[in-house]
Amino acid sequence: MEVSSEDNNLMEKVVPPVEQEIDVELETKVKKYLRGGGANLETLKDKKLKSQLASRENLYGKSAKTAAKIEKWLLPAEAGYLETDGLEKTWRVKQTDITNEVDILSSRNQYDIVLPDLGPYKLDFTASGRHMLAGGRKGHLALVDMLNMSLIKEIQVRETVRDVAFLHNEQFFAAAQKKYAYIYGRDGTELHCLKERGPVARLRFLKNHFLLASVNKSGQLHYQDVTYGQMVASIRTGKGRTDVMEVNPYNGVVALGHSGGTVTMWKPTSQAPLVHMQCHPGPVSSVAFHPNGHLMATSGKERKIKIWDLRKDFEEIQTIHGFHAKTLSFSQKGLLAAGTGSFVQVLGDSSGASSHNYSRYMNHSMVKGYQIEKLMFRPYEDVLGIGHSMGWSSILIPGSGEPNFDSWVANPFETSKQRREKEVHLLLDKLPPETIMLDPSKIGAMRPARRKEKPSRGEIEADKEVAIEAAKSIELKKKTKGRNKPSKQTKKKKELVENAKRTFREQEHKTTFKKRRIGEEDAAAVGELPTSLKRFARKY
Amino acid sequence: MGEKRKSTSKTLVKSKKSKGPHLPNSILKTIADAKRPLNSDEEDDEIDSDDVNGGDLYEYEEGVPEEESKKNNRYDRVDNYEYELPEDFEDEDVESDDDEDGGNSDNDDEEEGEGDDDRHTRMLQSLTGMPSAAFKGESKSKPVLFTEAYPESEFNPTRDVLEGKGLITMEDLLAPLQGKPGYNELSKRISRMQKDTESVVHAPLPKPERERLERKVVKVQVEKEFNKWVPLVKRNREVPTVYFNQDVNLGYSTIGAIASEFQPRTEFEKKMASVLNDSEVWDAHKEDGARLLELNEVSVEDHIKDRNRVAKMRSLLFRHELKSKRIKKIKSKTYHRLKNKGLKAAAVALMDPEMAKEVAMKQEVERVEERMRLKHKNTGKWAKRMISRGLNVKYDGTRAAISEQLQVHETLSRKISSTKDGSSSDESDDDEELNNGSDQDTPSKLIAKAREKTLQTVEDDEVPNSGLLSLPFMARAMKKKNEEANEEAKRALEEYEEWENSGGAENLKKSAEVSGRRVFGATAKVEAPKESKRESDNFYDNSDSDNDMEGIENNDLGPVRDIASPAKNSGAITETEKFDDVVGNPASKTTFDVALFASGSWKKMKGCQNAESKKPPKTLVPISESQNKKELRDEESEDSESEAEQMVDGILTSASKETYEIPSQADLIQRAFAGDDVVDEFEKDKQAVLNQEVPEPEKPVLVPGWGQWTNIQNRRGLPLWMVREHEDAKKKREQALKTRKDARLKHVIVSEKVDKKTEKLHTTALPFPYTSKEVFEHNMRMPIGPEFNPATVVGALNRPEVVKKAGVIIKPLKFEEVNPNDKGDDGNHQKQRPKKGSKGQSKSKRKTKA
Repeated sequence: MEVSSEDNNLMEKVVPPVEQEIDVELETKVKKYLRGGGANLETLKDKKLKSQLASRENLYGKSAKTAAKIEKWLLPAEAGYLETDGLEKTWRVKQTDITNEVDILSSRNQYDIVLPDLGPYKLDFTASGRHMLAGGRKGHLALVDMLNMSLIKEIQVRETVRDVAFLHNEQFFAAAQKKYAYIYGRDGTELHCLKERGPVARLRFLKNHFLLASVNKSGQLHYQDVTYGQMVASIRTGKGRTDVMEVNPYNGVVALGHSGGTVTMWKPTSQAPLVHMQCHPGPVSSVAFHPNGHLMATSGKERKIKIWDLRKDFEEIQTIHGFHAKTLSFSQKGLLAAGTGSFVQVLGDSSGASSHNYSRYMNHSMVKGYQIEKLMFRPYEDVLGIGHSMGWSSILIPGSGEPNFDSWVANPFETSKQRREKEVHLLLDKLPPETIMLDPSKIGAMRPARRKEKPSRGEIEADKEVAIEAAKSIELKKKTKGRNKPSKQTKKKKELVENAKRTFREQEHKTTFKKRRIGEEDAAAVGELPTSLKRFARKY
Repeated sequence: MGEKRKSTSKTLVKSKKSKGPHLPNSILKTIADAKRPLNSDEEDDEIDSDDVNGGDLYEYEEGVPEEESKKNNRYDRVDNYEYELPEDFEDEDVESDDDEDGGNSDNDDEEEGEGDDDRHTRMLQSLTGMPSAAFKGESKSKPVLFTEAYPESEFNPTRDVLEGKGLITMEDLLAPLQGKPGYNELSKRISRMQKDTESVVHAPLPKPERERLERKVVKVQVEKEFNKWVPLVKRNREVPTVYFNQDVNLGYSTIGAIASEFQPRTEFEKKMASVLNDSEVWDAHKEDGARLLELNEVSVEDHIKDRNRVAKMRSLLFRHELKSKRIKKIKSKTYHRLKNKGLKAAAVALMDPEMAKEVAMKQEVERVEERMRLKHKNTGKWAKRMISRGLNVKYDGTRAAISEQLQVHETLSRKISSTKDGSSSDESDDDEELNNGSDQDTPSKLIAKAREKTLQTVEDDEVPNSGLLSLPFMARAMKKKNEEANEEAKRALEEYEEWENSGGAENLKKSAEVSGRRVFGATAKVEAPKESKRESDNFYDNSDSDNDMEGIENNDLGPVRDIASPAKNSGAITETEKFDDVVGNPASKTTFDVALFASGSWKKMKGCQNAESKKPPKTLVPISESQNKKELRDEESEDSESEAEQMVDGILTSASKETYEIPSQADLIQRAFAGDDVVDEFEKDKQAVLNQEVPEPEKPVLVPGWGQWTNIQNRRGLPLWMVREHEDAKKKREQALKTRKDARLKHVIVSEKVDKKTEKLHTTALPFPYTSKEVFEHNMRMPIGPEFNPATVVGALNRPEVVKKAGVIIKPLKFEEVNPNDKGDDGNHQKQRPKKGSKGQSKSKRKTKA
């Protein structure tokens, strides 16, 4: 059995790769960077535009190719993996086995922190995975630097803490406490008390929009802009109390799981849910989103985990039976961790990228009696954080984290100067709340056609022209000798065209009728015009 | 045409006879008659001129005899036709030719047609039956007809000659010379010359034709010239970016570069330069500052002067500071008030002393007036009336109002008296201030002060003997109040004592510092009577009460208690508090610290296997009495709590099993079937959403009273158009429902509400060059920013259409060979980083923008 843990290990394949293989690999990568390929330019009639677009497309191709090459050759680390021999199964591999195989640095990520007194712990990681926030139910908040395993600050708020969440960086974090939610600074000072939300059950932070979303006990969803403190939206879900809430990282849509087995997705600019899905017959116990936003996993109290495709039809892709997950979490590489009781199961996507087929990848059982409260993969590490009733633990799940971090996106080794710079950049790039929608790639595209009750004048014109063309192109039947005269035929055709026109004339008349009644003064004005100008007056 | 006639004069005789179609006379005549009135003015004129010449019948005459003669002669007509036709067809100007023909024919007739004439007259005679004399006369008159005004001669050239038609040939010129000496020679020479040239110089082509030819040639030439440029222009059009004037050197780009060429010109500049460029200074700069100091010598006097000045300024500043400090230190309000007033008064006085006086007077008057008015005593109109009618006894409200007035008066009057005290009160104020300021440093003092104050208040509650307060009910109320106050005061005093005894200076300090929601330790006790934690818990919050905390307290971690905000005050001490008081150890209260879990409870363990063995002994403390109170909580909280406890139990004890209650049968059933008709509910929801987003059309209803005049209408029901409209609307709705995204998906509702806020994120119309939505959206799919693209391509992706240097004139396009098959793209690639030196390359980048 071989186990390799990601990033820091330098065990790279030394096998000289065949050129073709590289080409194929590059091809797939290029495809990824091309973001779906260009339009068919052959249909274009405008030569100039065609050549312009062709050159643009050429540039895009170049860009994608370079990006693919960079990814191929310049990204240093490879994702970790778990390799088994023969009959060995990956899910039989235990953490102790992994410990023996991985390097010291990785093995340091296996630990349990036992804090028996202050209840089940909620966890949250920063985007870079550098910092972790643990919130004990009984009021213990701890901010931990995961890189050197040092406690930065811990405070005891002496109130129930229901959820914790980092804001845009580790400088601020929010905690949902007994009565209100609070925002704390890195040093544990209370910065804000968010009274408007009521007793908050779940907190999530939308990184790109700087919105702190929360759902409270009466099932109200709140969005608050943390940059200037305005409550952007306050939505009554009307579905009762819920403590299942997750943010789709791809588009910022917030999903709530309800007791009726439904999952609703929300955006701040609409009071009605974007999508309303019936996922389970019983209450939904947890929801998780794949980082690319295409997959959603839900678990119900009826001991089923379901995986849904969000791209097209919100179809169910897969059902995993017999496992009730109290908490679900997707890793950056698409592994799905489900925790219940004191047992963690990690599901892996065994098939290719196109068809998702999640199956058992790894298991982990905690000490009996530990109740898992929250699972969360640590970004950019092959680590799964487990918050449970006796503190928190961390285990290694090879291949879960993204091996290469992009310092523009999230940098685990950020200096304070970089952090400050980043903060400014983030603020400048802040997205307005309107940009939250199911398909954000539609931003900048044509406005989707709206259904209209009455066609506009232009549309009527267009229809009319089409109808006339159709009437003109009608082939007349060849009739008997006397009746097939060309004169008769032309007459007939004229009639047809007239008929086609007439229907539209009536329509137009209808539409303009009201206008005429309103603008009667206009007609009077026409009467007043000098005779020389009268012919220019519009005739109704 | 004319010249041809002349050259073929022999055949003319026959040819001229052909005039129009050979129709019978009668027909011709009728035609002529019919035409005449219809003819235009010009024709009439012609006819008139004919008339002058007696040619009224001319046409008629001329046409007819020829025809006739031909018929008579039976000449082969075919021949004639063959001859004639081409000439006729060649004619361009038919009308004018006709005229000329007429003229010519007349002349010809004169010259040659004697025999003809005879025949002609005869024929006329036979036709008309008129005596031939008449025709003769006519025919005789014909020679008299003149076409030219002058006799024909070289001085009076005919029109033909003038127009260049009647050409005079060389033979014509030579003819008169025949037989004269030298003729032979001349003719020889001429013939030779003719032989030499052979070709006759033709008349130039007509102008339009000539020009057309010219244009053709020119076009070919120009095209050739232009085609040379086509590839160049084409390439420039196709390249995404055009570069202009890349090779132009703009000169200085930096201020430093400009400054480096500075030449001192004026006197001052020269002096400065001499100093700046002094080699000694330079050297000093280069080596170290020591030499510079030497160079920078200052005279002793200057130095002393400077020093003195600085010293003076300093001392002034210092004094000023001292003064202001002293003034600031004075805490007396009166002093400050006076000072301010003095300043103001001084200002006013400075302005105008009389005015100052006036102001003072006015103020005084106002004060006196206010004192005299006694507005709040029961001397007002309303109060008097009330009292006189005894309403104040009758109605509670009135009584209250009056008593309130009195009270106000009392307070006011007291104020007046206190102001009479003057400076003493001020002093006390100051004292208070001082105390307030320093109370944090001297808590014991504060306590003492508080005690003093309370004692004072207890003592000086004398009841006034007169006025409203002396009334019996008032007295009773006062007494009651006083008792309460006394009690409170006593309690307070006790507390003060306790504090002092426990040496709780520290404690107090802490309590003073802690602000906000939380207070620890003994301070809790002070406020304890006013709390009703349990009540508030039940009221606000069901799931998680503060009893969580009590669990901790019992775990010998110290009595951590959540002291509610002052808003929670009312009611009596709850069980919890009492319990706390019993259990809580006062000593631990004081020593409690926030860092509860700092070191002891933090256990980091390798592997979870040995977690059990290393369990901290603390956790073994069983969860005690506090659990009994959990009964009060509602179900949900029990869920969460019991979970928390179970996990404790799993390892530790079975204590929580005692608290677990078996839910009732009904409860169990309800839980089991809680989510039973979820699907049904969802369907209902979906229907509701659909109805909301695509509303059902209203049912057609007749307005009451309309269309109900007769039974017929009643029987017929709704008018057809209404029904039809309704059906149409229904169909439309169905269509709309079908086209929805979630039409086929049973388990999903996708909202299709239009979000007006997002509309600004879309374009309403396609941007200019695009014609199809699909192409546009495909082209927009790629981000072009530096965040999304490799650095090598970002430049190319974002390059503007035209790259030029500011302020440089764009020169016109210059010719240069371009391979038409070459793609513009490669050229562009080369141009990415145009070097200044590469002239040849950059030249190719120029383009005239049309």
